[in-house]
Amino acid sequence: MSALPAVLVARNTFREVVRDRVLGGIVAGGLVLLGVTRLASPLAMGEGLRLTVDLGLSSVTWLGLLVVLTVGTALVSKEIDRRTIFNLISRPLPRPLYLVGKWLGLSAALAAVAAILGLALWTLLAALGHAAYAGAIAEAVYLAALELAVVTSLAVMFSALSTPVLSALYTLGCFLAGQWCDDLRRFAVHCPDGLRVLLQGAANVLPNLTLFNVRSLAAAGEVTTATHLALASAYAALYCACVLALAAAAFESRDFK
Amino acid sequence: MDPVHATPGNPTPPTRQSLTAVGGERPVSGRAGRDERAPAGEVAVRIEGLTKTYQHPWTLKRTRGLERLDLDVHRGEVFGYLGPNGAGKTTTLKILTGLLKPTSGNATIFGEPIHRVASRARIGFLPEQPYFYDSLTGPEYLEFVARLSGMGARDATRAARAWLSKVGLGARDREALRKYSKGMLQRLGLAAAMVHEPELLILDEPMSGLDPFGRRDVRELILEQRAKGTTVLFSSHILPDVEALCDRVAILLEGRLERVATVGELVEGNAPAVEVRVEGSRVLEIPPRFAAGVERADSGGSTCFIVSDGERVQDLLGWLLAERIAVLSVTPLRPSLEELFMAAAERSAFHAERARGRA
Repeated sequence: MSALPAVLVARNTFREVVRDRVLGGIVAGGLVLLGVTRLASPLAMGEGLRLTVDLGLSSVTWLGLLVVLTVGTALVSKEIDRRTIFNLISRPLPRPLYLVGKWLGLSAALAAVAAILGLALWTLLAALGHAAYAGAIAEAVYLAALELAVVTSLAVMFSALSTPVLSALYTLGCFLAGQWCDDLRRFAVHCPDGLRVLLQGAANVLPNLTLFNVRSLAAAGEVTTATHLALASAYAALYCACVLALAAAAFESRDFK
Repeated sequence: MDPVHATPGNPTPPTRQSLTAVGGERPVSGRAGRDERAPAGEVAVRIEGLTKTYQHPWTLKRTRGLERLDLDVHRGEVFGYLGPNGAGKTTTLKILTGLLKPTSGNATIFGEPIHRVASRARIGFLPEQPYFYDSLTGPEYLEFVARLSGMGARDATRAARAWLSKVGLGARDREALRKYSKGMLQRLGLAAAMVHEPELLILDEPMSGLDPFGRRDVRELILEQRAKGTTVLFSSHILPDVEALCDRVAILLEGRLERVATVGELVEGNAPAVEVRVEGSRVLEIPPRFAAGVERADSGGSTCFIVSDGERVQDLLGWLLAERIAVLSVTPLRPSLEELFMAAAERSAFHAERARGRA
């Protein structure tokens, strides 16, 4: 099976997302936020630089999440509601590749947003004489893009099976729970047997998003290890593949009335 | 030329093999039955026992969409698919294009089973009321779908431009699709269905939303495709268009195939009445021997006789000439496809009512 149809759908999705006014607004909002962070830094009692880096990188994740919740969770369901999908599925396009294409397109758009905001942050820091933060920021932005790709895979799955509102709620729930995956595991150790198995199972199923958070490290100007980067990349690839495989299995038998 | 095809809107139909009309247990055509299916090589679409049942997700109530449909569409023919709303036309077309999964039965497109993605490589599909991506332009969209259908990048770009012009949208190649009118979107949908030069066109209500000029253009496009040897399967509510374009039609009612025949067979299968118009409106006593089968109406300066039994026209004409009455015209009154369709629908409703009564 050629992957070309997925690339074509991805290209189309990317084009569609970047032309959406929501994305432009969110990028503009991110840039404004960066400026506000800088203005507020004198109030940080000497921690202005750390505050700027931390909030700048946080905005990459949170604004990206906003794009996933507003655009990503309606990515497939909107196509079904508006029947634009009829013109695609009626062509030699395997349904799994359609979902992979949608995920790939939105993930690429989010990576572009992360890159723009990361570049803006580095430009600001360089203007303040801290160009050496480049490596730390690049790593943090790369991991944030991976994190958003993982969340996007969940959004695509929910969007393929549910309404946009429910998809947004499920995706947000998974994102928040994913931030506390390590805490959940630690808490499970102290629980009775049945509950412990349940919580550990949930911690394994939920995306471990803490793996992608190196903001504190970057705020101190430090870089993470190559092993961490490789592990996070592999985890993201595997998690996305599993989620998309599940989505494809459910999507395969779906009727488009 | 087969005389049944010689309709005004259908001047050069290709020669056909035997007129295969395939039905399940129900009679579908007077000429052919299940055993007379065309050889596989001559068939573009073969449908066998196709059934679709919908189930409501909450009440679990089941609704029949399609019931044991057997049908062949031959290569190179224009096949009309008729039926009132909810008859199962769109359900059939969506099953063929992979949008719906059949409950049972199977179908092939050029010999390829429809559950395989490859079966969709040779088709072009226009859904009913097509929708598109608002932010794309016409050429972008056409290039995208042409490439999805297997065209190379360069060919897709060229074909997208050519087809946009062909459907009259060439001057709007820079506009986003959100600015297109409903009729323009329908034209774009047609271009999207044909941009990759498919061998089978499946069009769901292609005339829907079009003004008379648009309908004429679509008719010409379909005729042009047929002349190129493309098989066309289309559903429509606009019966004059079906009558003008189709080699054969299938009538579907309540999910069941009611009849498959050529338009000529449908129309000629019914004994035509004859209208005899004579000069003057003077009071004529119709001889008692004609009274049973002849209706008369005076209008303006002429009198019109409707002879329900065509064989009695000679007698009537003989009597008129003997009476020295000038005959202005003798016109056979063939029922239109619309009348036949309505009659079939009423018959089906009557049978359904009777069946319910017996139950």
